[in-house]
Amino acid sequence: MSADQSSLVSRWKTAISDLRQGRAKRRTYVILMVVALAFLAVLPFVAGNYWVRVVTGIFMFATLSQAWNVITGYTGYFAFGNVAFLGTGAYVTAVLVVRYSVPVPVAIVIGAVVAAVYAMLLGFPLLRITGHYFSIATIGVNLATREIAFNLPSITGGGMGITMPLMRVSIQTFYRYIYFGMLGLMLLCTAAVYLLMRSRTGFAFRAIGADESAARSMGINTTLYKVLAWGFSAFFFGLVGGLYAYWFSFIEPPMVFNPANAIKIVAMTYLGGIGTLPGPIIGAFILEIISETVWGRFLELHLAVLGLIIVFVTVFMPNGLLPLIRGESSLRALVQNLRERRL
Amino acid sequence: MWLQVIINGLLIGGFFASTAMGFSIVWGVMDVVNSAHGAFIMLGAYVTYGLHTMLGLDPFLSIPISMLVLFIIGFLTQKYIVNLIMKTAVSMSFVLTWGLDILLINIALVLFTANWRSVSPSYAGAHWAIGTATVSYIRAGVLIVSVLLMFGLSYFMSRTKMGKAILATAFDKDAARLVGVNIGHIYAVTLGIGSALAGAAGSLTSMIYPISPQLGVTLIAKAFVVTALGGLGDMRGVIAGGLVLGFAESLGVALLGPEYQMALDVLMLVAMLILRPQGILGKKYYG
Repeated sequence: MSADQSSLVSRWKTAISDLRQGRAKRRTYVILMVVALAFLAVLPFVAGNYWVRVVTGIFMFATLSQAWNVITGYTGYFAFGNVAFLGTGAYVTAVLVVRYSVPVPVAIVIGAVVAAVYAMLLGFPLLRITGHYFSIATIGVNLATREIAFNLPSITGGGMGITMPLMRVSIQTFYRYIYFGMLGLMLLCTAAVYLLMRSRTGFAFRAIGADESAARSMGINTTLYKVLAWGFSAFFFGLVGGLYAYWFSFIEPPMVFNPANAIKIVAMTYLGGIGTLPGPIIGAFILEIISETVWGRFLELHLAVLGLIIVFVTVFMPNGLLPLIRGESSLRALVQNLRERRL
Repeated sequence: MWLQVIINGLLIGGFFASTAMGFSIVWGVMDVVNSAHGAFIMLGAYVTYGLHTMLGLDPFLSIPISMLVLFIIGFLTQKYIVNLIMKTAVSMSFVLTWGLDILLINIALVLFTANWRSVSPSYAGAHWAIGTATVSYIRAGVLIVSVLLMFGLSYFMSRTKMGKAILATAFDKDAARLVGVNIGHIYAVTLGIGSALAGAAGSLTSMIYPISPQLGVTLIAKAFVVTALGGLGDMRGVIAGGLVLGFAESLGVALLGPEYQMALDVLMLVAMLILRPQGILGKKYYG
């Protein structure tokens, strides 16, 4: 082996060990991300429609989990019913496209804005409630929004749903458009969260999540920032909702306000690592891949396995997989953690 | 017609209270929102269904059995699973029990299939007539059982040693530990009691409604609304909350029609949470 080649290999080895110990240089992360992105960009042109759809789904859930993380992981308000905003985005987009012939991208953005405004308006009364009560109130919001969608058939088509117009391209091309759309949303969301959490606003979110009364006594306007956090989260849920509506070409209330999606988002975010940046993405990838493999073989057990994963993760790994991957924790530490928590 | 509305409100209110009793006690004592409460109710319903179909056992008589079965399930769940996360963030218990709920429902779906089943004893359709209104035997029985359960629970909590230990743990965990109370064991017993009450509620449910594995999903929503309305810390709050919900629904169905039931529940819940989060009879601490 020439001197150049051996130093490349040794540099590679150092980089991997650095990563595992959390000491990696920024450059390593950047290279990793570029490689991953290149892989993802090429994927739809080499893989079949099935996998393109699966990975699109992963991007979708990764975006949702990332956005959910903002109100839940960072700000500490467990909004389990956030899918209400996905549904809102989906319906607003669908109605604008079908009834008012608004171009699809514009409709999606407007749908997201409406969802964000909805969240912010609801936020003022609801974010005053803390803890369990807030979580349940958001579930109530989701169910109530679904009922509203059902009971306004003149606008929303009620139980019959809305059918979106199809793009005039081949199925394969259409799926690729959606794939890149969702990938774009995932990147946009991650970038937005990254920038947000480094800003003063993000600091306020984290302060509220850590100790709300302390944050308030530091002069942070907690009401305003909580509302902003929820609005931000809802905006991305709305964006995804709009694209989702276009992807599936048909929406109806039980589909877009589906609490099962909320369950998946919760499981993914916890699995990956709540309150971290890569956590939701990792969680989304792992869970969705496990999901697809299990679903393929054991259709009925699919949700049961999801439930089991949630139980498992909350008991053994409340901080998710990320500390393990980063090397900040280890299996031994987890077991010790468990012992310390014994009553 | 109004007499029927009032009677319906009373009967269904009693039923709602029974679904909420176990949920409220677990929440009040352990600060655990047992999202699997609905699944426990569903299991109690299936116990009654199984006993009725296979042994012909009268559903009212199967209540003690379903209570025992669910007590064991709840006790073991708390002791070996939920106790592990009691020291972590409060929301963890919500997520954990949610996972359990999904697991239990889907296992039930595999075991029992999604077919609707019903428990129909021989006296199913019989009723009394009071003026223009009718009171079905079964629903009256359900109300009576609910009231008995409430009194039984109150007696247990205030007069027995175990009940007092549970109250002590709710009041001040560390002081209780100092006087020799085994907190983990008490928690396990509390969830066992809560589950037993869920089991009883499930048995009652099977007599009134057709059952399927998804039964618990709507019922836990009602249990939650009842608990939030009535407040924690006092069993009478559960009855109060149950009656309020029962009358509201009865009136709502009479005036607005059945489609708005869910919306009405959510509206009342959110209104109560905003205006008076501790509920009608809620206290800051248990006792």
